Amino acid sequence: MHETTILQVEGLVTEFKSERGIVNAVNKVSFDLERGQTLGIVGESGSGKSVTNLSILRLIEYPPGRITGGKVLFHDQDLLSVSENEMLSIRGKHISMIFQDPLTSLNPVIKVWKQIAETLMLHQGMKKQEAKKQAIELLRIIGIPDPEMRAECYPHQFSGGMRQRVMIAMALSCNPDILIADEPTTALDVTIQAQILDLIREKKEQYQTSVIMITHDLGVIAEMCDQVCVMYAGRIVERAGVEALFGSPKHPYTRGLLESIPRMGNVGTQRLHSIKGSPPDLANLPPGCPFRDRCDKAMDICASQLPPEVVLQEAEGERTVACWLYPQEGKHGRA
Amino acid sequence: MKTPRIVRNKIALAGLIVILLYVLMSIVSLFWLPFNPVAMNSAEVLQGPSLASGHLFGTDEFGRDVLSRIMKGTSVSFIISVSATALGAVIGIFMGVWAGYLGGKTDNAIMRFADILFAFPSLLLAIFIMAILGEHTYNVVLAIGIVYIPQFARISRGSIIALKGNEFIRAAKSNGAGRTYILRHHLLPNITAPLIVQISLSLSTAILLESALSFLGLGVQPPDPSWGNMLSSARKVMMFAPWTAIYPGLAIVLLVLGFNLLGDGLRDILDPRLRNVR
Repeated sequence: MHETTILQVEGLVTEFKSERGIVNAVNKVSFDLERGQTLGIVGESGSGKSVTNLSILRLIEYPPGRITGGKVLFHDQDLLSVSENEMLSIRGKHISMIFQDPLTSLNPVIKVWKQIAETLMLHQGMKKQEAKKQAIELLRIIGIPDPEMRAECYPHQFSGGMRQRVMIAMALSCNPDILIADEPTTALDVTIQAQILDLIREKKEQYQTSVIMITHDLGVIAEMCDQVCVMYAGRIVERAGVEALFGSPKHPYTRGLLESIPRMGNVGTQRLHSIKGSPPDLANLPPGCPFRDRCDKAMDICASQLPPEVVLQEAEGERTVACWLYPQEGKHGRA
Repeated sequence: MKTPRIVRNKIALAGLIVILLYVLMSIVSLFWLPFNPVAMNSAEVLQGPSLASGHLFGTDEFGRDVLSRIMKGTSVSFIISVSATALGAVIGIFMGVWAGYLGGKTDNAIMRFADILFAFPSLLLAIFIMAILGEHTYNVVLAIGIVYIPQFARISRGSIIALKGNEFIRAAKSNGAGRTYILRHHLLPNITAPLIVQISLSLSTAILLESALSFLGLGVQPPDPSWGNMLSSARKVMMFAPWTAIYPGLAIVLLVLGFNLLGDGLRDILDPRLRNVR
């Protein structure tokens, strides 16, 4: 663990019981988050990006979900082994989260200021009036016009973008060390998306917050992140700096993802690229690499053995990739 | 100064006025009644309503003034319906929200208990409880309250289950809110609409249940008047003295209507999504 590492996830396993057996939604995921850094987690639906982050905050509903292995080290403390009461004082205060759908993430029958003030009263012991003042101030900071009047509104009187701003105000109210943004712009218009991303970036720099950005939008990754983890079928298949990843993707899945971005120049002349096939059934994972059926570089070994994570030392920094194309090049990473 | 929403909502206002009139009537009855409601007067048996005699709603088969008895019965009916509903609602909602929120074994245990109570028709269950406890006004409250427990439990459990999967509950958790906090501040305010409807229905059915119990001789005991035992005794004479049945009946109908109107209006008022955007 480096001096600057604020969160270290190691070998995280989260499983869900389903009718068809146990699903390993997150399977031995490891990554580090450096202070002040933005880490992107990208992957398609069901790849385990959201579950990974809900597991960090221990927000997995049991049953059916359960965290069965690994460590989440935050300030030398394993979040997976602290008591639920200690967890309550970490959520919202040290690590907070923004959710995908701002339309459903706010309580419809509680006034906006009250929902922001709630976190302040819970974690900072503020009295109601003081918390209200602070909540209005936060609304002003995140760019809601006429915050005194707006604070008295109910969420349904806000637009989607404004509601996401309120969510951000709530998440940042206690000045957390880590902000987890779970697809914060997926449900918003493109124009609003840019505003929200700018807001997150601005506040991140202002408060020195580390950010985990979950998304399936590679454009967001390119714009926001320093480090990127690419997830597939509950595992991280490639982890690298954002420039290295976009410049020379190593894992065939990452390459496929990058090639499927539509480009302006090719409109009308070329069919959009897509990765053939569909993600594997997580309840029934075959041995070997989960991506091999869709991979055009599949070899014999891919069918029988799971590729270990291999650390490659590059000019831009460290890169980890889990693919048999890069066997034993460097020393083994965490399997 | 804005007019309170309850005044702007015509339906709720009408209900409120009706209920306030009854409250007024029951308060007045504590200090003043036109006649002694339990004093028999053989000279004035079964008199029709008339201004001249002072018996505005007539007299019953013992010569007692019907209006005085209705007024006296108001407080009884009121106290019984309000306290029985409160009893059932408090216990039922408490059981229901925890069952719904915790799920699993707790849910199963609580709801199977509620199912057992639910298996009996409400009047039958109330009669059964009265038979065990004995005939007393307090026991009527207890009997009706117990009948209500499973109804409130089921409604609140269902609403909580529908709600707890919502993203905002998860968002509240991610902000560090604990279980009790989420239940009190996020879940309960969201289920007020169905609960208020249920409370208003319960208030009115409590009056009907109390009347039914008294009618069967299990509720308020004669000579003390209640609307139910007034109807019960009127049954024998209502063919030639209809006023003995009509006025207590009207008293019941109007109060039930008042509660229903108020409940309906309150539901609209309390749900911010149904309010006009300012």
